[in-house]
Amino acid sequence: MSEQPLFSFRNSWFATSVGVTAAIAVLAALAGLIWLPLAQPDLKLSGIWDAICSAAGVPRVSSQGNAIQPDFKTSNVVMTSEMLTKPNQVSIGRGATLAQRCAICHGPQGVSDANSPNLAGQFAAVTYKELNDFKTGARVNVVMSPFAATMSDQDMLDVAAYYAYLPRVPSNNLDPKVAAPAIVTIGAPMRNVPPCGACHGDIDNKAGSPWLGGQSAVYIKAQLHAFASGSRRNDISQQMRNIARQMTSEEIDQVAHYYEAQP
Amino acid sequence: MTAEADHGIGEAVAARVERRWATLSIVIVGLLVGMATYIGIHQATMPQGHVETADPATLHLSGEFVESNLGSAVEADGSVTVRAIGQQYSFTPQCVVVPSDTPVKLRATSADVVHGLLIEGTNINTMLVPGYVSDLPVRFKAPGDHVMPCQEFCGIGHQGMWGKVKVVDKPAFAKLAAAKRRLTCVD
Amino acid sequence: MLTNKRLILAHFWLAFIVFGAALVLGAWQMFVRSPLNAWHFNPEFYYRSVTAHGSAMGYVFPTLVAMGFGYAITESALEKPLIGRRWAWAGFFLVAIGAVVAMIPVSLGLASVLYTFYPPMVGNPFYYIGVVMVVVGSWIWVALMSINMAIWKRENPDKPVPLAMFANVAGSYLWGWTAVGAALEIIFQILPVALGLRSTIDAGLARVFFSWTLHAIVYFWLIPTYIAYYTIFPRAIGGRLYSDAMARISFILFVVVAMPIGVHHLFADPQVGAGFKFMHSVFTGLVALPTLLTVFTICASAEIASRLRGGHGAFGWITALPWQNPIMLATALSLVMLGFGGAGGLINMSYQLDASIHNTQWITGHFHLIFGGAIVIMYFAIAYDLWPHLTGRALESFGLMRTQLWLWFIGMIVTTFPWHYVGILGMPRRMAFYDYANPAISPQAFSVVMSAVGGFILLLSGALFLTVLIRGQWADNSEAGSYRFAIPLHMPARIPAALNSFGLWLALMIGLTVVNYGYPIAQLMVLKETNVPAVYVGAGR
Repeated sequence: MSEQPLFSFRNSWFATSVGVTAAIAVLAALAGLIWLPLAQPDLKLSGIWDAICSAAGVPRVSSQGNAIQPDFKTSNVVMTSEMLTKPNQVSIGRGATLAQRCAICHGPQGVSDANSPNLAGQFAAVTYKELNDFKTGARVNVVMSPFAATMSDQDMLDVAAYYAYLPRVPSNNLDPKVAAPAIVTIGAPMRNVPPCGACHGDIDNKAGSPWLGGQSAVYIKAQLHAFASGSRRNDISQQMRNIARQMTSEEIDQVAHYYEAQP
Repeated sequence: MTAEADHGIGEAVAARVERRWATLSIVIVGLLVGMATYIGIHQATMPQGHVETADPATLHLSGEFVESNLGSAVEADGSVTVRAIGQQYSFTPQCVVVPSDTPVKLRATSADVVHGLLIEGTNINTMLVPGYVSDLPVRFKAPGDHVMPCQEFCGIGHQGMWGKVKVVDKPAFAKLAAAKRRLTCVD
Repeated sequence: MLTNKRLILAHFWLAFIVFGAALVLGAWQMFVRSPLNAWHFNPEFYYRSVTAHGSAMGYVFPTLVAMGFGYAITESALEKPLIGRRWAWAGFFLVAIGAVVAMIPVSLGLASVLYTFYPPMVGNPFYYIGVVMVVVGSWIWVALMSINMAIWKRENPDKPVPLAMFANVAGSYLWGWTAVGAALEIIFQILPVALGLRSTIDAGLARVFFSWTLHAIVYFWLIPTYIAYYTIFPRAIGGRLYSDAMARISFILFVVVAMPIGVHHLFADPQVGAGFKFMHSVFTGLVALPTLLTVFTICASAEIASRLRGGHGAFGWITALPWQNPIMLATALSLVMLGFGGAGGLINMSYQLDASIHNTQWITGHFHLIFGGAIVIMYFAIAYDLWPHLTGRALESFGLMRTQLWLWFIGMIVTTFPWHYVGILGMPRRMAFYDYANPAISPQAFSVVMSAVGGFILLLSGALFLTVLIRGQWADNSEAGSYRFAIPLHMPARIPAALNSFGLWLALMIGLTVVNYGYPIAQLMVLKETNVPAVYVGAGR
């Protein structure tokens, strides 16, 4: 039907469309990769080649600069979402033996009324991280710090695996009728308080956030106040201090009593 | 046949009108693209000029995004660098303090998932993608308070991720900076 | 001649059922996050709902409409039965089963990652597998459209491909290629992580792949609407199409420039260089061209129809248009929404203005106005026009149809205009809850209430639409005749090969993709240290 073969520069449709497209692409590339970057003084480019690399997006590693180092110990645990989510029977068995010395405070089945945390069914990553932070001094407690100091990395992994393996046991304070306060269900968004359950497992779990159901209200309150005042600082990059310091004392009370009554 | 001749004339008219409109359309599009280019050169409001990487899982261990290095720092040339991270579900620092009418370089990254950062009442708006550093030059005109929500869905607590920005006048900022090397307005 | 009516009807019915369900979710979302709602709800329900609403409205509904309409065009424009009927059914069932497979984990709250996926957040693998099934099902349609056109051309070497079919194949090629980006993201990046084979993912690269799909998908949604503008509207109002060649050029322009522009979604992202952002910005400007050409051709076609009916005067002809005709009304309302939406789009695509509205409610307002408004109202029109030919029963509720179309238009304006406005104020999108009592955001409360009211008007209109179709099932039998498309004013004697085939345009489309996406993708693929730990969603409970 056509006079000229389509894929030939003698065909005006071919020549025009290819020519115009190529011309626009070349002009856009010249402007975007050379002209515009060189017109920006704050980029401090050393020449055309530097401009092209920078505008094309050749990556460089973040400059270290003179970072101010913390004057206190911070957690050195690298948390990931899949960390310690695959239980290992050998590790659980070793952990059961090691955990005998924890029983006096945390109960033989990982549950106690001593206002120390209940560990049965706790996410393994959480128990591991806290043990590690006690060991390095990122978190300090007169009872726990000496215990953790003598544990090897494998010991901490095993204990964490064992407690994660134990079933969660409802505490004596279980009361499903306690209504969730607003600070738990919706938080206080404009004060940067998200719903507790978004991280702590009742809605979704953020790596490193403990399961709170059935924990002692005394313990939860003490920790929230410690985060708020900055006397506890092993939460990575202030993720929990940011929230606790925005909560009122009444809200901390409400949260503590609500979670104590949960399974 | 006159009908056919009319038809031919009509077709020519139709084609001419159509060509004119097509030309006008091309001019409109060219004008819009030209405008964007012109503003890019004369006001330098451009997307980030380079790509920089940072490992999100180890931000807290070393490098410029360690906890104690976050916040506003005064540079030798009098400009201010603000370093911040986004994480599920807060910015650290939670409240950023900056001087008015001063060049500010905002450097931020994410410690976990994709976040975004926008400062209401300004045109400051960027994504925080884990693995990459966002770096943008900004300037605040006048003292005042702004809210800084996360603008990208980052998980179930996304709606609770609101930070603050406090813009103070230059002398007030200088006074704060004399006392501390990294400033925030976290109470 | 429509022979595979059941096939086409199955596509349309499933599309509209999915649409109705997603519309209910949409209205619920508008309500719960507005000041009208005092109930403290689990925010996870909101994100679950947004994931379902977005996946259904973005992936399933328009894909089924494009497929069903595509089969109808093939049979009626080429005047022969569809080749590959069994394959078409297979494609339909893949889409249907894929939609169910994807929606099960979503409704259980195991994949609340929104329809834009957002790695490194990773949900249940079945969500992604379902989405892939939907896409693969639609690729069968892409292949069938191409095969049917090729065989027809071989049988009719001297005739130009009818415009409707030409445009339909353009849309299918556009989709075939643009879906590749998200497919690469899901198959090579997300699924291995969701299945536990890998635990890290490059979120920056994933966003680049997704932008490849996310912008051009809008043009895939748009193509059936444009086909209706060009080939249904002039015929339905008793006129002629102003120009056949310009119509072809418009569709060709979409094929060539709709794809390599997606990075304008990433203007505020740190992983793509500014130079490539600028190049994509330029090509995004070009994509306004086919729309400008279309608006002219359609208005001119309307004028022809009006003058044939006795309309006169420079603007007086507008009053002589058949406004009682639902197709006339739908097209006019669609063009108005396209105008507003397009003007907003020019702001999004511009390199600088984007910063003031990026990821605010403005964006949600924008794509609801374009897709939900301008595009979907023409899907209604297509259904109204085609239905009697599919069911053999006349749709007679013209008053109801007009009410439905007006309500859709009013609802869309009332929803999206305040939505744009709060976006300018800086209201971020996709939050389950806003504390309107706080003075920093309390000025936004009234606009959000307006939007929610609009949402309910849209819900009402959607219900009316389904009512019209269902009532049609009980109407008397009537022979609708064969389904025809508009005839051009001046039937071109010859059509150049360039306007009757796609080889050149596909080569340009792929070439431009390589130029505009090649380097940013290659560079991020090489970069290993930006593979970041995945964050599993919904797995902790």
